[in-house]
Amino acid sequence: MSLTTDVSQAAAGTAAGKGSRKHGRGSGSAMQVPRRRPRHRRERIFQWLFLVPAVVYMALFFGYPVAKNVVMSFQDYTTATFFTGEAPWVGLANYVTVLSSSLFSTSLLNTALFTVGSILGQFVIGLALAVFFRRKFPLNGILRSLLLLPWLLPLIVSSAVWRWILDKDSGALNRFLGDLGIIDTGIPWLTSTSLALIAVVGVNIWIGIPFNLTILYGGLQEIPDELYEAGSLDGATGWRAFWHITWPMLRPVVSVVLVLGVVYTLKVLDIILGLTNGGPANSTQTIATQSYALSFHEFKFGEGAALGNVLVIISLVFAVLYLRASRRAVDE
Amino acid sequence: MKSIRKTSRPLALAAAAMIGLPLAVSGCGTSTASSSEAVKEISVMDYYNNEPDKSFIGDALTSCGTQAGVTIKRETVPGKSLISKVLQQSSSKTLPDVLMLDNPDLQQIAATGALAPLADFKISTDNFAAGVLSAGTYKDKVYGLAPTVNTIALFYNKDILAKAGVTPPTTWDELKTAATKLTAGDQYGLAFNANPTYEGTWQFLPVMWSNGGDEKKIDTPETEQALQLWTELVKDGSVSSSALNWTQADVKDQFLAGKAAMMVNGPWQIPALDKEPSLQYGVVKIPVREAGQTAVAPLGGEVWTVPQTGNKARQAKAAEVVACLNSDEKQLSMAKARNTIPSKTTLADKFATENPKLATFTELIKTARARTGQLGEEWPAQATKIYTAIQTALTGNASPADALKQAQGQ
Amino acid sequence: MTTQLKALPASAAALPARKNWGYTALAIFFLAVMLFPVYWMVNASLQPNGTTLETSWLPLKPDFTGYATAINEQGGNLVTSLVISLGSVALSLAIAAPAAYALAYFKVRGAGLVLFAILISQMIPGIVVANALYTAYNDLGLLNSIPGLILADSAHGIPFAILIIRAFMNGMPASVIEAARVDGAGHIRAFWSIVLPLSRNSLITAGLFTFLFAWSDFLFALTLTTTEAVRPVTLGIFQYIGAYVNDWSSVMATAVLASVPAIVLLVAAQKYIAAGTTGGAVK
Repeated sequence: MSLTTDVSQAAAGTAAGKGSRKHGRGSGSAMQVPRRRPRHRRERIFQWLFLVPAVVYMALFFGYPVAKNVVMSFQDYTTATFFTGEAPWVGLANYVTVLSSSLFSTSLLNTALFTVGSILGQFVIGLALAVFFRRKFPLNGILRSLLLLPWLLPLIVSSAVWRWILDKDSGALNRFLGDLGIIDTGIPWLTSTSLALIAVVGVNIWIGIPFNLTILYGGLQEIPDELYEAGSLDGATGWRAFWHITWPMLRPVVSVVLVLGVVYTLKVLDIILGLTNGGPANSTQTIATQSYALSFHEFKFGEGAALGNVLVIISLVFAVLYLRASRRAVDE
Repeated sequence: MKSIRKTSRPLALAAAAMIGLPLAVSGCGTSTASSSEAVKEISVMDYYNNEPDKSFIGDALTSCGTQAGVTIKRETVPGKSLISKVLQQSSSKTLPDVLMLDNPDLQQIAATGALAPLADFKISTDNFAAGVLSAGTYKDKVYGLAPTVNTIALFYNKDILAKAGVTPPTTWDELKTAATKLTAGDQYGLAFNANPTYEGTWQFLPVMWSNGGDEKKIDTPETEQALQLWTELVKDGSVSSSALNWTQADVKDQFLAGKAAMMVNGPWQIPALDKEPSLQYGVVKIPVREAGQTAVAPLGGEVWTVPQTGNKARQAKAAEVVACLNSDEKQLSMAKARNTIPSKTTLADKFATENPKLATFTELIKTARARTGQLGEEWPAQATKIYTAIQTALTGNASPADALKQAQGQ
Repeated sequence: MTTQLKALPASAAALPARKNWGYTALAIFFLAVMLFPVYWMVNASLQPNGTTLETSWLPLKPDFTGYATAINEQGGNLVTSLVISLGSVALSLAIAAPAAYALAYFKVRGAGLVLFAILISQMIPGIVVANALYTAYNDLGLLNSIPGLILADSAHGIPFAILIIRAFMNGMPASVIEAARVDGAGHIRAFWSIVLPLSRNSLITAGLFTFLFAWSDFLFALTLTTTEAVRPVTLGIFQYIGAYVNDWSSVMATAVLASVPAIVLLVAAQKYIAAGTTGGAVK
């Protein structure tokens, strides 16, 4: 059986079945290497050799910090602890303090709004741009690479520039809107409790678009043109082609982009601190910024670690969802 | 299945590495015991990482090092990262021989036991301004001395005020009237920093303290009056609501560009102001509520300390350098170069005469108050409450009285 | 049913005879909107005081003092950043690609656990890792060294690269690798000669972001250096940001200058993300 026919059959199968992966990938999914009893052991060792460097690397760099952070959240860890090493065990007291503080419900809500808003904006715009850039036109490559610039700039620079752009009195955005005649007086983007979170989400979307765009574009490039050709012969073009060909093939890439997006967005700290420092009046205070403030402004490291771990637990929920989804995809 | 045993081996290896490496690594690298050989070099850490401060302080350190017979190995870090570095070095026992700290952080670090009392090295603390000693003292022992200090006052644009026929205000009512009169077009009457950081708290302290407010408990009528002033200035439109987001550097930019007729700021902005030849500015104390009250300003500036490194010989040399940095001669030269104020009250008159632009600030240092004077290590929590209350009141979310009560109760 | 594998002009793909300048214009418009803040940064770098408080839309009277300072002082730092970032890319891909392959194709026990651990590693706040690394590096003598920073930056890049490459590999038909193994190729040969070329897109994409993570890293650069011997440009920028006054014009100029080599590299790398490598490699 020639390889050519193999791939085309798989390709045709996928296009014909409406996005169902059961047919097309049945023969091709990640599967068992044929067992050869005498070489079974060597097989396994070889397989683990591929994985061991990465596992060891991560254990070395992340194992101790993770463990330490968990332990710290159960201790009364102060600046003195850094010098003396003494940290009395307080059990769940830190968790109780942070979870029952009046600021927690605000931070939780802000975190949820910030994350949902950012992911929606970044992903939708990133996907739209990725699909757009699939078309061949002059300067496509260069323009697409230039769109990575927001991710490239140091955050201290991005936040300074955005603070100037969003300034109420002399910022470029308000000047532009004023020149167009849309507004009379400056909009207090960063100093109004109702607008600040929206402004911060907007800046985070701006930073996140290159990430989504580039990875989704790479994923789109993996989809063979033949599928679209076969599909167009069946009458699937434009939106239908997207829904029945692109979307199913893109699923693994989409899920990894979403889960990483959520994990990274939950952790976002520098851009919020740079833009508003969590203000005005805690309207942009998220769990991440609150954890940082507890540790490094108020020197209550135990509480900061506890709040940080709460964030990790929230991220874990998404991680588990991702693992379920990706395992199911592999098994089909 | 046979494969389980095989594949779990690498996992076990990884787990062992996870626990093993930090243990193995923490075993090595201990601090050196005190040696009897002569000390040739001492290490210094500070946050003067940008020019021109970097060179001014560097020159002073080198000169003091030469006097003590040692070379200086210096590490400069960005301001916001100093405390993280200090903590990392504390836990790995690699603190420098001479450590600079921002004065409100001194008591926090002294409380950990990481610093040595300066009295151990017979360093004299005579003639230092009361606020300076108060900041550098923890449990009755002096741990750090600041050669130069600074504070904040009211800068005003002479031309703008003259044109509007306004004299520099001395009371709160005069301030409000002046600010209203000076607000026209895209020019605001006053600019100050009310952002949700310790800078916002710092700029509020003069009006709070001058009126008798106490940082230990902020929901008092005196503090409420001060916050009422701040709130009204923003509500009247004399101060842009962007003050909720500005840093002191932003405030200076507004003043420089003529977008604010008056500003609350410190003497370190003078070089930038002087670069603009068309700008004629004057400095007065921040107004008090009623004539007769004393203007109390918060004390800024950095102290030099001698950490406990376990090496007596090095500590002795470090103390020599710290004492030299705090000598009269160094205080005057550094203060003049860096636009700050010498800490010794005996030098005040001479300094004010030779540096007229800094006269108001010099006067204020005599009565300046340390932020950690009463609260010590409890200051950070209380400072957070103050700026939280300011933000709540200035955004209109609550009245000043309620904002203070909410913040105090947290 | 066999389909023609030769490229057929179809649906949205370009007809080689006609150049779609219309799309280019649209793309330039998107770029103009998205990159306005970058333009604003360039504008700020040409202002005398480095801020955009009073500026007009175009820098009509450019002031190059910031650039003079940046060029004089940050040249070495730029090279350091480049070396560290490229080193981090090489190391990360070398470790991540085999691991991603193993996780995508082998049914190893504990694969789910490894993936879980990878995801957890992405959730840890950087400062926690940096604090732990400082002590270890201090004892091992790795402070102020380029290899040390490469190792630290790769710690972020490796888990990320594994996730991305694995996701792409999950989309590849395994029949190709299957056939190769049936033909007797060993694991390593199958990996090297077949899997890697097919994964070109994912390797480049993962490499791009590993480069960007390392290039824009500030935390490890700050924590793991104590002298100015090894100073990436992200930390170099901070010598213009003091506790009292900032020199924004030098900050902006440095940022502009630092972006140039990075963007050149990224443009070059992006050219290699080609369409339909799966179909093409079969020929």
